[in-house]
Amino acid sequence: MNKNIYTGSRILLVEDEDSLAIGLEYNLSEEGYIVERAADGEEALEYIKKDEYDLIILDIMLPYLDGFELAKLIRLRFPKVPILILTAKTGIKDRIKGLELGADDYLTKPFHLEELLLRLKGMLRRKMWYKSATDSKPIYRFGENEINFVDLTCQVGKDKIRLTVLEAMVLKYLLEHKDKIVTRKELLEKVWNIHSEVETRTIDNFIARLRKYFEPNPAKPIYILSIRSAGYMFKE
Amino acid sequence: MKKSNTLIYHVLVFILAQIAWFSLLGLWIYWYISNYIIINQFGDRLSSQIISQSINVEALISGLILLVVISVGMFLIFIYLTKQMNLTRLYDNFIANVTHELKSPLSSIQLYLETLYARNVPGPKQKDFISLMIKDTERLNNLINSILDISGIEQKKIAYNYQVCSADEIINTLISDAKMQFKLTDKHIKIEGGTNCQIVVDRRALRIVFNNLFDNAIKYSRETVHITIRFSSNLKYFILDFSDLGIGISIKDQKKIFNKFHRIYNIDSPNVKGTGLGLYWVKEIIKAHGGRISVFSKGQDCGTTFRIELPIYLHSKKRYIKQLLKITQKRRKLVDSYRE
Repeated sequence: MNKNIYTGSRILLVEDEDSLAIGLEYNLSEEGYIVERAADGEEALEYIKKDEYDLIILDIMLPYLDGFELAKLIRLRFPKVPILILTAKTGIKDRIKGLELGADDYLTKPFHLEELLLRLKGMLRRKMWYKSATDSKPIYRFGENEINFVDLTCQVGKDKIRLTVLEAMVLKYLLEHKDKIVTRKELLEKVWNIHSEVETRTIDNFIARLRKYFEPNPAKPIYILSIRSAGYMFKE
Repeated sequence: MKKSNTLIYHVLVFILAQIAWFSLLGLWIYWYISNYIIINQFGDRLSSQIISQSINVEALISGLILLVVISVGMFLIFIYLTKQMNLTRLYDNFIANVTHELKSPLSSIQLYLETLYARNVPGPKQKDFISLMIKDTERLNNLINSILDISGIEQKKIAYNYQVCSADEIINTLISDAKMQFKLTDKHIKIEGGTNCQIVVDRRALRIVFNNLFDNAIKYSRETVHITIRFSSNLKYFILDFSDLGIGISIKDQKKIFNKFHRIYNIDSPNVKGTGLGLYWVKEIIKAHGGRISVFSKGQDCGTTFRIELPIYLHSKKRYIKQLLKITQKRRKLVDSYRE
């Protein structure tokens, strides 16, 4: 396995299947991560209350508190911690629910070890990129909007809303590339770390959401513009 | 077979309801037209007689009867459809649960194989991983066997190997086996009572029953497992009470717990895995032995008691038990002759 630059990152593994958890713990420790394991939803909550983690791996079918509920609670407390859902539930409804509740990635069992490790690295890389990008300019203003990239809160006129991590990351990427065309593929690769041509519709949904939040008239955007057959561009 | 009969029965009810409906329609059209013709022919002069004609009363009563028949038919179909919808819902849950139960050990095996392939795992760790993989393959094997066995039981293709045994001896043996398998000690299990009777059982099938009861007691106990097994007998039946101090079962769920695919979804449950087949399997095995199983629990966190009653050899269900032994003997002879 390749050398890991994210050695020392703290990972919380929430998995009730002993057999799988032992193997995962071993592999993550071998990669240089510091791993703690919770065997059910309640135990996971205890860990989250006590400590802060760089990443959380979450099963869905858990005793006492399922993974969806847990993801919701984690997001309330830690809006930016990357969550990877690792589950046997393969249905599209479950995937959408997981991602909507704030998970950053969704991997189904059985999985390939290398793919899991690469996805974890990708999530940690994005977390670091986001941190360095927001440390330099944590608050950004355009029009009547003020976005705080640290706690993900936004003042839109008189209203206050809260972005999800992925929404914030998409917006951050667009702001960083102001007046430049950003392709859907580029966003997928840089923000989602997905190398795929087929899931570009996901981007369009995120853009639609951002326009709904920040554009005075989402049907006629003035900030987040669509560039025909190319992608998007942020203009101020 | 049973399923197709039920379907034919409901299709028949539907056809009869349709026939009744069309007959009613025909009768009332006939009634209306004949009265219309009479009214046209004789006019107001005979109108009072027409009303008192017996055909009107007959048509009305037979119409009402037909309406009742249609209503009953529709009601039966409605009940049938509701049952079918519930069954479909349970079946969907079952598929989701089985998928999960298959994928969990599979992903664990895949993870260990990929780990052993990609890393230099030290010797003792390798052994640990291999033993975990063996456990997972056993879990997969058990799941597949349970599905195949249940299908066999339902199609009456399972050939049990019935033998006359001492109840005390076989139950004690099965308890010792379960202790080893589930890594339990005398601290976890208390045995009470005793009998001096003989029962007719298939050891392998009874082991499945015990495995399921022990597995449930462990899965649904919050902390330490406490199991009490009491056996006794009355004139006709050998009685075994299997009690745990687990999370218990609500009265509503006690009625459904032996139903196929039924699973209890309880937020406080320490276990969320399972297929909903285990206790159905247990019930079918006990039924095949001429016995019965029931459950009792005072409710949440009050523990659960399963009572198994098996007929005592030569004292109860003599004809049925002899029939079971006869079938086993016949099969054994067939196998022996084939071997020779």
